[in-house]
Amino acid sequence: MGSVSSEDDQARFRSVVLPHLAHAYALARWLTGDRADAEDVVQEACLRAFRGIGGFSGVNARAWLLTIVRHAGYTWLGKNRSGSLVMVDDLELVERQQASAGVVSEQAPETPEAALIAKADAARLEAAIAELPVPFRETLVLRDVQGLDYREIAEVTGVPIGTVMSRLARARSRLIARLGTQAPGDAS
Amino acid sequence: MTVSPPDPRLLVHAYVDGELDPAHVLEMERQFASDPALAAERDRVEALRRAIREQLPLEAAPAGLARRIETAVGLRRDDVRTSSHPSWRALAASVVLAVFLASGATWFALRPHSADATADMIVASHVRALMAPQPFDVASSDRHTVKPWFNGRIADAPRVVDLADQGFPLVGGRVDVIGRVPVATLVYRLRQHLISLTAVPGGKTIAATPKDIGGYNLLSWSEDGTAYSAVSDLAATDLETFAKAFRAASAER
Repeated sequence: MGSVSSEDDQARFRSVVLPHLAHAYALARWLTGDRADAEDVVQEACLRAFRGIGGFSGVNARAWLLTIVRHAGYTWLGKNRSGSLVMVDDLELVERQQASAGVVSEQAPETPEAALIAKADAARLEAAIAELPVPFRETLVLRDVQGLDYREIAEVTGVPIGTVMSRLARARSRLIARLGTQAPGDAS
Repeated sequence: MTVSPPDPRLLVHAYVDGELDPAHVLEMERQFASDPALAAERDRVEALRRAIREQLPLEAAPAGLARRIETAVGLRRDDVRTSSHPSWRALAASVVLAVFLASGATWFALRPHSADATADMIVASHVRALMAPQPFDVASSDRHTVKPWFNGRIADAPRVVDLADQGFPLVGGRVDVIGRVPVATLVYRLRQHLISLTAVPGGKTIAATPKDIGGYNLLSWSEDGTAYSAVSDLAATDLETFAKAFRAASAER
């Protein structure tokens, strides 16, 4: 492999990767929780994408790029926030065990009014989403912020559609419980 | 894979997300009618989605990030022409990404209806235009050139406004065929992104809020009996800004 990339690769990179930079940045920002770190992650992901551009199948460029961004984001989390990833594995294990034992996990006892949820402002929403464990957070962000459909999310996160759906349901239930119980004035 | 349908509380999410096939949609609607708690759950999920959409829109990537990346991967040269003229050929290569998603063997099914078919055709026209040597049949930033060009080619020449002052210069126009009807499409630009604006006289508003189709955003509205559909790889918020600018400019005239 030479160090000089072909014109074709360059053209492909420009047309396949660059149009989806806003999506790449959004996912990286929600994974890292920081704008500057997100830029580093996106840059690293784009380097990987550039090196792997020949392997792109040509079906869904956005999903392909987001898959790479997610891997780069996980690498970053492993180095800088290793706690967050370990906790998540445990948490999913616990939830699976509870589910198989028939325990109703984490279902909000409160059933807040939809109107209360609708009033949530950007800061409260952002804080509540940032608190979600990574697999729930990325699923929610890919769907509700970035607008991917279930099949695309399954492709990006490497899990079956059924898992996408249950993670999305858990993420939203947590947000609803959080936004519904905390009065707007308590946030500060 | 055939599985028994999951818990209705899970299906509420697939319902709200438009991921259910028509049979399951009907089944859910029946359950909402008979189960107020389930209907309340649906309302909460919809309220949450609306709040996120309104409060946390997708931001554009930071200024300069694309440039830093181009430099990092060795693409950036000093004689970059992209600032003044996007490279149509480079854009054209992005066509490969537009292959629409084949439906999978799950019990989810994308709901087919005619608005979707029209939306697909409009997006496909945009993609095909990107693939062509030029994304327009007439290249001009002068609306007094573009509008007469349509006369004689299609029945209703569209309203042509220049939005250069609002950041969306007109770059040309072309004739697309939607169904079997030739319609006018205006092409605008924001930075390196092209926007195709298709005017369908007597058409329906197919996506009143930005809709993602294969990675492109589609947004439509109606004016004076004509349905306008804008499609681009721009972020939804940028496309909404464009729509607002177009409607404001055409209202002044």
